[in-house]
Amino acid sequence: MEAAEYVAESPAGGPDAVAALLPMVRRIVAARVADATAAEDLVQETLVRVLTASGRVEPGMLEPYAIATARNVVATSWREQDRQRRNQHRVVDLRVPDPPDGELLAAEERSAVAEALTRLSERDRQALLEHEVSGRDTRALATELGSTAGAVAAQLHRARARLRVEYLLARDRVEPPTERCRPVLFALSSGDRRRQREVDAGRHLLECDVCATLSQPLLERAPQRDDEVRIAIGADADVVAARQAARDLAGRLGCFSATDLTLIATAVSEVTRNIVKFAGSGEVVVEVLDHPRKGVQVTARDAGPGIPDVERALQDGYSTYAGLGLGLPGARRLMDEFAIASEVGRGTTVTMTRWCGQR
Amino acid sequence: MTGPRLVSILRQGSYLIASIHTALDDTQMTAFQDDLVERIGRDRARGVVIDVAALDVLDSFATRTLRTIGEVARLRGAVTVVVGIQPEVAFAMVALGMDTGSVHTALDLEEGLAFLDRVVGSRRPVTTLRGGAG
Ligand SMILES: [Zn+2]
Repeated sequence: MEAAEYVAESPAGGPDAVAALLPMVRRIVAARVADATAAEDLVQETLVRVLTASGRVEPGMLEPYAIATARNVVATSWREQDRQRRNQHRVVDLRVPDPPDGELLAAEERSAVAEALTRLSERDRQALLEHEVSGRDTRALATELGSTAGAVAAQLHRARARLRVEYLLARDRVEPPTERCRPVLFALSSGDRRRQREVDAGRHLLECDVCATLSQPLLERAPQRDDEVRIAIGADADVVAARQAARDLAGRLGCFSATDLTLIATAVSEVTRNIVKFAGSGEVVVEVLDHPRKGVQVTARDAGPGIPDVERALQDGYSTYAGLGLGLPGARRLMDEFAIASEVGRGTTVTMTRWCGQR
Repeated sequence: MTGPRLVSILRQGSYLIASIHTALDDTQMTAFQDDLVERIGRDRARGVVIDVAALDVLDSFATRTLRTIGEVARLRGAVTVVVGIQPEVAFAMVALGMDTGSVHTALDLEEGLAFLDRVVGSRRPVTTLRGGAG
C-alpha cells in the first residue's frame, strides 16, 4: 500500500492576514506610482503600517484599513516629492521636525474641535455640550427636552459620530470632494451598518482618496461585532475561509437547517471564487439580518474589471473562463435574494440574502 | 511543513482509494487531480474510488474537477466512482445544477468497491478495507 499525502498550510494569523493583502496593496500603489522600485518601497511601508496597526483594527476591517493606508502612504510620498521639488534650490532641510511641537499641536486640536462644533446643528451641539461639558445625564436632558432617555442617548450617539467626522475634516482642512463623502464618513463614524450599506461605504472607500484617508481613525475605533464577519479575499484559500465563516455565522442563528447552511456556504464559495478569478482581490462580508425576519446577507465586493453584461453573466452556461459558467446563476438559485451591481472598470458587488424558514 | 493530511491515495489491489479529508481550495483540488491521474498510470489502476464524505461543500469547481478526473481516468482505462456525497451536499449540487456527469456515484466506500467489482471484475485481494464486509 502506498500513500500520497498533502499537508495543510499554517493557519491564518495576523501576519498571514496582512500578507494576504499584498496583491491588493500592490495594485493600489502600482496604479498611482509608475516607478517599480519606488512602488515596492511604498508597498512595504504600507504593509508594515498595517501590521503594526492590525491589533487595533477590527479583524474584518483590515482590508479597508489597508486601502486607506496605501493611499495615505502614496499621498505622503507625493507631498514629500513636491516639497523637495519646491525646496531643491535650498541647501538646508526645511522639513518640520517630527514629532511636531506639542503646544502647537494641542492648539490645532482645540481649534479643530471648536470648528467641528460650529458645523453641528444647534440641537446636536447643545445636547453634546450639556452632556459632555456640563455633565448632565441623559435622563435630565430628556426631561428638559420633553423626550426619552433612549432618544437622547441615540441623539448623542449621532452627534458624537458627526462631531468626529467634522473634527477630522477641520483638522486636515479638507472639503469632501463628493456629495457622498459626508454620508459615508458619518455611517462609518456611527458604526451604523444599515447606513453603511445604503451609502455603499465599502465601495466609496475604494474610490475616494479623501475618505480613504479620513476613515482610518474611524475604522480603528470601530467596536468588535459578533453579528458580522469580514473576510479579505486575495487567494484561493480565502474562498474556503469565506464559505466557512458564512456557515459558522449562519449556523449561530439556529434557524437554518443543515441543508440551508450548505446552500449558503456553496453560494458564498461561487461568488468568492469570482472575486479571486476576475478581480484578484476584494472582500466578503457576512451579516446577520433581523428584519423583516432573521436571515444572513452576504456581500461580495471587488474593485476589479467589472462585468460588461450582467444579464448574460446570469445565464446558465455563460462562461468567461475555463468553461465554468455556473458561478453566478448557481449562487442565485441557492439564495432567496440576489443582486449584482457592476460597472466596467470600477468593480462588482454581489449582494445575496437567505431568510430563515423561507422554503 | 507539518500539518494534518488533506488527502490520501491508497492502493488496494488494482484499485486506488482516494480520500479527501478536509476542505480543499482550488489549487489543492487541482493538485489532487493531477496526483491521482498520475497514480492511475503509475499503479496501472483499473478502478478509482474517490471518497468525499468529509466535504461539506462541493461547489462548481470541485464538481467539475471530479468529472475531469473521472473522464481522464476513463481515457486511461480506469473506472471512477465517487462515494460519500453528503445529503445536504447532494441537495446543493442539484440546486446548483451540477452533477458528476459520466462519473459513477455510490453511497459509501463499500458500495463503491462493490460497484467496481461488478464493472471491472474483482482483482483486488479478498480482504476488505475496514473489516465489516458488505
Ligand atoms: Zn469621499
